[in-house]
Amino acid sequence: MVNPLDFTGKQILITGAAIGIGKETAVLLDKLGAKVILIDKNENGLKEITSCLESNGHHWFRHDLSDVDGILPKIKEIISICGALDGFVHCVGIRCRRPLSMITPVVLNEVISLNFGSFVELIRCITKKDHFNKGLSIVGISSVSSQIGSAGVTAYAASKAAMDGAVRCMAKELAPKSIRLNTVAPGQINTPAYADLLKINEGTEDATLSRQYLGLGEPIDVASVIAFLLSDSSRFITGSSIPVDGGFLSS
Amino acid sequence: MINPMELTGKQILVAGATSETGQSIIDQLINLGARVVMTDNTEEKPVVLQKILDNKNAVFYAFDIYNNSEIEPNFKRITDKHGVFNGFVYCAGIGGVRPLAQTKYSFTSEMMNANLYSFVEMVRCITRKKSFSQGGSIVAISSVSSIKGLKSKTAYCASKAAIDASVRCMAAELSERKIRVNSILKGWVESDMKNEFIKSNMELNGDDDLRRQILGIIDSAEIANTVAFLLSDATKSITGTSLLLDGGYTL
Repeated sequence: MVNPLDFTGKQILITGAAIGIGKETAVLLDKLGAKVILIDKNENGLKEITSCLESNGHHWFRHDLSDVDGILPKIKEIISICGALDGFVHCVGIRCRRPLSMITPVVLNEVISLNFGSFVELIRCITKKDHFNKGLSIVGISSVSSQIGSAGVTAYAASKAAMDGAVRCMAKELAPKSIRLNTVAPGQINTPAYADLLKINEGTEDATLSRQYLGLGEPIDVASVIAFLLSDSSRFITGSSIPVDGGFLSS
Repeated sequence: MINPMELTGKQILVAGATSETGQSIIDQLINLGARVVMTDNTEEKPVVLQKILDNKNAVFYAFDIYNNSEIEPNFKRITDKHGVFNGFVYCAGIGGVRPLAQTKYSFTSEMMNANLYSFVEMVRCITRKKSFSQGGSIVAISSVSSIKGLKSKTAYCASKAAIDASVRCMAAELSERKIRVNSILKGWVESDMKNEFIKSNMELNGDDDLRRQILGIIDSAEIANTVAFLLSDATKSITGTSLLLDGGYTL
């Protein structure tokens, strides 16, 4: 039988790989034959995940991506150790729910810098000569918040909309190098971040779930779409954002 | 290695089987282990399809798929014989280019009939409780014409936008049975280039239109992969969506 999601011989870099969607993506890509390179600031988490992977030859690097200036030397180090990349998945990001009155410039910059600034800087460094193989595919984790407003989510939504806007431009600019870029737009997914939200809401389900009529998504649902976008099966999809939202955006 | 797009054990109905896109879709669905029941409005079958029918897990029904009074009895005949379906693909429909001055009611009506009415009637008939499984998936082939404006394509663009709108509503309504409904917004496809419709469209809108598709012309095999992906359990959290498969055309 054909396997359109066979990643044998492919090397994929994943940021925010110690938890949630990043972790699930690492586990799935390993099962699909890829070599994964994991970045996170949580060293213990990285060690734990790497020990769970089925095959050998994976790498992990501890790095805090809020240090944007440190990205170029880190990518150079990674490429010199692991070789050129076939894919990059940006899962790192912080959620931020606070009223506008509390979104000071410092808070705004913190959210935008980590969710969006590090994304562009990583792509700038990865798409340098000899850092990637032909057919490089890049996937960013955006959010339904990029397109739909909700109270208290200003900084987070702006950072995700910035990703989608940048992806459309970079997709055009990098197409001559055979590089594709897309985002996925998850709705509410059953991750530790969602569990934290439930705690804040004292156990009440998030209001967005009432319009997400297939119910709460699982991390594997998002990881599967990321794998599709990384694979050659999506060779003609670039500059787009795929909702993994159980119907939320269309309702 | 796992195969998230595997379709073994799934029975899929494909309407519009004899088109090049239809043939590519059927070929890939069978490669992924599905059983395919196909239908179109002609007994004449292309060589590729005949080969699949001779050797594989497939069966063909010919009837006038654009005659709405024929859909219900023929679908009943099909489901009586083949039981429960897990997927339905609508890759039938027609194209047509006419300046507004010549876009008479009869022309628009014929376009809406083939592209929308037949689709809705088929979904209505195939999703009867005993004919379609819980967790099943429906995919319609739409077009970037749904969201872009081009000269002389008023009727065609309207019919594709109508498909996408119907998909969003069906997704909401059928979500109770965990049935997912999505469409694919395709750009210029290789096989379309042979059609008179495309040639006359090119004359009207110029080559520029083709150059906007920065990744080149889409091979119908790419559409097949995306259809298979949406039919598979890898997209369990995607419904009500119109996925762009346009090589960057809309950027």
